[in-house]
Amino acid sequence: MARRRSDSEINSRPCDVLISQSFSRARWKDLHVGDVLRIHKDQVIPADLLLLCSSEPHSLCYVETADIDGETNLKFRQALSATHNNLTSHPSEETLAAFDGVVLCEEPNNRLYTFRGQLHWQGESLLLDNEHILLRGTVLRNTQFAYGLTIYTGADTKILRNCGKLRVKRTQMEKDFNRVVIGIVLSVLLAALLLSIGAGVFSSWAVNHTEVLSALVVNGNPVYTGFLIFWSYIILLSPAMPIVLYISFEVIHTVHSLFIGWDRDMYWQQADTPAQARNTSLNEELGQVGYLLSDKTGTLTQNRLLFRQCCIAGDIYGDSSCRTEDIEPMDLSWNPFSCGGLFMSAPRLVEKLRGQQCPFSRQFLRALSLCHTVMAEWKQEAPVYQAASPDEEALVSAARELGWAFLSRTRDFIVVSELGVERQYQLLALLDFTSKRRRMSVLVREPEGGLKLYCKGADIVILERLQKDCLHQERTETALELFAQACLRTLCVAVRSVPEASWEQWRKTLAQSATMATSDRDALLEKLYDQMERELQLIGVTAIEDRLQEGVPETIALLQQAGLKVWVLTGDKKETAVNIGYACKLLDPDTRLLEWQELRQILQSPDPGVTFFKARQTELWAVDKQTAGAKTALVLTGPELTEFDQRPEWGATFMSLADQCQSVLCCRVTPGQKADIVTLVRKHTRSVTMAIGDGANDVNMIKTAHIGVGLAGVEGGQAVQSADFALSQFRFLQKLLLVHGRWSYRRISLFLRYFLFKTCCFALVHIWFGFFNGFSAQSLYETWFIAFYTMFYTAAPIMCVAFFEQDVNSDSSLKWPELYKSGQRQELSSPLLLTSSLLYAVYTSLVLFFIPFGVFHNTAYDLQTMAVTVAMAAVFTATIEIVLITRYWTKFNVAAVCVSVLLFFICSKITHSPRLFQASPKDYFFLGASDKAFIDPLVWLTALLTAWTAVLPSVTALALNVILTKHDKHKVHSVLSQPVELRSKLRRGTSLRRSSYAVSQGAGPGRLITSGTCIRSTVPTVDEKVTASNDRTD
Amino acid sequence: MVKQEREIGNRPDNTAFTQQRLPAWQPMLSAGIVIPGFVLIGLAFIGIGVALFVTSRSIQVLEMDYTGVEPTSPCFRCSDPDVKNCVCNLAFNIDTLFKGPVFFYYGLSNYFQNYRKYSVSKDDDQLSGDLDNFESPSDTCSPYETVGSVPIVPCGSIANSMFNDTFKLYQIVNGNEKLVPFDGKGIAWWTDYNVKYRNPSVTPLKNAFNNTVKPISWPKPAYELDTSDAANNGFINQDFLVWMRTAALPDFRKLYRRITEGDYAKGLPAGNYTLKIAYNYPVLSFQGRKMVVFSNVSWMGGKNEFLGIAYLVVGSMCVFMSIVMLIVYAKFKFPEED
Repeated sequence: MARRRSDSEINSRPCDVLISQSFSRARWKDLHVGDVLRIHKDQVIPADLLLLCSSEPHSLCYVETADIDGETNLKFRQALSATHNNLTSHPSEETLAAFDGVVLCEEPNNRLYTFRGQLHWQGESLLLDNEHILLRGTVLRNTQFAYGLTIYTGADTKILRNCGKLRVKRTQMEKDFNRVVIGIVLSVLLAALLLSIGAGVFSSWAVNHTEVLSALVVNGNPVYTGFLIFWSYIILLSPAMPIVLYISFEVIHTVHSLFIGWDRDMYWQQADTPAQARNTSLNEELGQVGYLLSDKTGTLTQNRLLFRQCCIAGDIYGDSSCRTEDIEPMDLSWNPFSCGGLFMSAPRLVEKLRGQQCPFSRQFLRALSLCHTVMAEWKQEAPVYQAASPDEEALVSAARELGWAFLSRTRDFIVVSELGVERQYQLLALLDFTSKRRRMSVLVREPEGGLKLYCKGADIVILERLQKDCLHQERTETALELFAQACLRTLCVAVRSVPEASWEQWRKTLAQSATMATSDRDALLEKLYDQMERELQLIGVTAIEDRLQEGVPETIALLQQAGLKVWVLTGDKKETAVNIGYACKLLDPDTRLLEWQELRQILQSPDPGVTFFKARQTELWAVDKQTAGAKTALVLTGPELTEFDQRPEWGATFMSLADQCQSVLCCRVTPGQKADIVTLVRKHTRSVTMAIGDGANDVNMIKTAHIGVGLAGVEGGQAVQSADFALSQFRFLQKLLLVHGRWSYRRISLFLRYFLFKTCCFALVHIWFGFFNGFSAQSLYETWFIAFYTMFYTAAPIMCVAFFEQDVNSDSSLKWPELYKSGQRQELSSPLLLTSSLLYAVYTSLVLFFIPFGVFHNTAYDLQTMAVTVAMAAVFTATIEIVLITRYWTKFNVAAVCVSVLLFFICSKITHSPRLFQASPKDYFFLGASDKAFIDPLVWLTALLTAWTAVLPSVTALALNVILTKHDKHKVHSVLSQPVELRSKLRRGTSLRRSSYAVSQGAGPGRLITSGTCIRSTVPTVDEKVTASNDRTD
Repeated sequence: MVKQEREIGNRPDNTAFTQQRLPAWQPMLSAGIVIPGFVLIGLAFIGIGVALFVTSRSIQVLEMDYTGVEPTSPCFRCSDPDVKNCVCNLAFNIDTLFKGPVFFYYGLSNYFQNYRKYSVSKDDDQLSGDLDNFESPSDTCSPYETVGSVPIVPCGSIANSMFNDTFKLYQIVNGNEKLVPFDGKGIAWWTDYNVKYRNPSVTPLKNAFNNTVKPISWPKPAYELDTSDAANNGFINQDFLVWMRTAALPDFRKLYRRITEGDYAKGLPAGNYTLKIAYNYPVLSFQGRKMVVFSNVSWMGGKNEFLGIAYLVVGSMCVFMSIVMLIVYAKFKFPEED
């Protein structure tokens, strides 16, 4: 229902469609292929569109693809120059209406990053690729409006093609249980068959021998009698087929789901959203999760990068130890460009900057304000930055807060306000970022005339390019260590004064290279860049915090202690993912990352397990043997994962390796691949998988995993629509899994086993009785008892257990996450256990019949007295059993047990009363049976003995369990004290420095800046240049 | 203000129930409770078992088979189904006083009174005196519903197969037979002859049975079961009621008479006795056995050694189990301390 409601809400979202020369509102569901749409700024794109033109120069437009690939930076899309030139030269609506191009494109598919097609228009055939396409689910940013031609709609869109099929999820326990029920049904049929054969044999004997009975055998035909008896036995044994159980099962699931929604610990006040169980039938699997596959963006991280600390000339500014919220904002009122958002308190630095004392700090900030590819857009008298990399945006914003405000850029100039003084730098060259170079530089001519190269990049690459005997290097490296320990993302900033002569020479070589073929040119460029970025002088280090969601590291640590494997699957860059892995304690500082090349070697080797083990024993791990344990993590990227498609046999090996690793990080994976990984885990392990994510790119994985959790967060993300559980915060997983999941698992396991036991033990008695009544399907119970037994006498206590049972309260569950492991090992619900409770039920039914049989054999007691006795024993047995099971006696439990037993006596008295008999003798023929039985000591003694003998195995098991777990608990306690130590060790451990910086797709947008394409403030550059840049794009 | 209220509108209630913090008693079991508990329960069961066993032992039972299978048996002659109106004398002697009150049972074995089709073959409405069901008995009585088109009253298989041997007990005193008086009152359930079974309110009772026939195997109609006592006649005849209350298992006894009167109120004195049996009921056709049983009773009813022994066995098992647990406990506890 909830799903349907949210679907219809999405279907009726409005958008602008061009209908005969004017745009009018239409609903999403009314879109057709071929419609021309107008998308406004910040609007979600409703279908896959071919970008025709936009309000921006060159028909560029920016889209945010967070929902699709998890990357938060903006990406640009550009219309074909042909459509751009033709459609923007005139008033748009008319020309758009006149647009009569024909698009040839491939069949709808799920490949997000590729598109092939052709546009036939005005006699030309133009090639289309991914750059021209706006995907459904992306959001238009920083662009007033864009016009697009609908190519794929609805289920044909790329994102929905990636969503996977909606499947009805059922829990493993339910499947096991269904199997057991089928087993029971078959056994009952078999028993009925055997009994009816017995009946046939008996009746044929009776025909010949028993005068009194033979006349009763129907038609005198034993086969026909047997046939009728078969059906009678099926009816008689039908209570053993737990049909009522399915109803109770649903009720329990619903109540558990309600408890999840009612939990205040999972209520997020900021968005006023409680947790929500959208699928009410998976609760018990929450207690068995073995693999948690998490999205990164929006799930682990908040999507906010904060400039937290920096080290300039060896001095560290800012304090990372205090929480972000606690930082006192600095007084930046002197800065006209300040608009907040700096979470660093360093009055000392501000003093230095304003006092003009420290040239280093000034250079540092100048570097930050110059060396980047950020665009500035003026809005309400203030620059708004748009960056391809969120890191850069954070750095530039921080520089602005501290007085070095980047104001605007043209193709050749960068304007910066330095403490209120506007300065214009001539941009000579932009040495762009690539994931291989891991650095970027700008070469500028200062207003004073000097040439400066500002460079920023990963610490390793920068440190090896420094001048000899660089000042402060040692102290800066210490700072790097410190920042790394605080899980901050660091970048080194360096500067170099370039002599005019070398610049001239370099420029000439560069100009030459431009004419060369692409492959050669790239190699040469790299070499050239390398020449320039030398002899650097280290200025400082920036430290950026990728804000994690609240409580993420604690949650992950707790879940890992609980035996869960936490994997991160993200569409984002490897660097970012690894960094976040460290930041959220998923990886320890000394964790060794195993990347694809090594993994491949291991996978290809004849005996992967041994190779892996050997590799771990030797080389890098051997540094510290004690910590060499499980401190390995696999890092994979999407393209590498495609190799698994060709080598299906690697799957099992991979999983066994992954099992020994601390974690697995998969980066740059498409939604489809995320689902593939889930499938891989599902295929090769028997564990329950849980996928958590917030965006449309996680939908597929959420649907594929056993349990899908959607993070609603602030924006109520896409994933919630198809998730089984909706949470507001990642940290709520703790309570959802360790408390609700564990309880649900325990409660439902207990419920199932008890239910099976109580129905079977009571119904199977008829099989044994059959041997002593000529297999005549005689009932050992009053009909009313059969009806009431499951409804009144035994239902309430087990339902109370299923609702309220807690072996350990919620605080302790969180304190001792190890307790969760019993669920992963299926300790309470294995098919073996289910079978054993069935066997126990068979034993009990034997006891229930044969002890009264022994007592009443050859006595003057009649059938009705025996029936009451056995019924009493059955109720006592069921009650004692539930008393043994219940560990958490709320007043409801006590009341339920007492009332159930009392009900047995009261109902028996009532149904055996003269009044009811007189009303309907046929229905209440047990008249007086209980009156007589309840005052007979022999009946009581028999019932007590029977009940006690019936529960003796379970009492003994419980007692042994108590004696043995007493011992175990000590063990648990001694284990429990360890994690605390571990955590502190984690802080002390030496850490490898991490410094990373990455922009989307590996290459930076420097090319666009240098070509001037995307700079609005400039007059559109010459057409040739645009086409040149477009050619390169293609 | 209103907005603020709306904002926290979804906040779950903070009650013990919704937050699953219901106060509860969580019994912490330990070896110190479990093992003594087991011992105590075991001892209690052994105690009950001993009491039952001793009581059961004190009950005197005299059981005699009179089916007449063996040629030596006094009833051998009567066991031939062709012999009608046969009476056999079963002689026995009692060594010591058979303490009273003595209950006299007849017993049948391999007799499936609990066969379902048999046990439902009666018409409860008819038996509670409903004259409509005299005219048209319920079809549950089939095939003992009608003879031709005349309804059988009481209809059905149970009534038809009513046990019809009769017994008279004589003590041999100085060579003379002295009749031991039998008390046949109150041997059926009170509810049976007061509520469940009623004669139709027609006087004389015979008139109610107009246009009906007696069950096929009965020698006399229901209204002549006890002509001497109206309260023991018709459907509320005690022997009839005892028979109609079907037995639980194929080997059963049914109370026939009690010996509570006259010289025998204290019991049957030692001496020689003769039981005169009017042998009518055929059981050999289904390999059944007939027997008579004299027994006195205690608080626990008749002799029942099974229950006492079962209590002793289960009780001993509990004690044994507790010893095993003690060993296991010791094994697990002490290595830990090392």
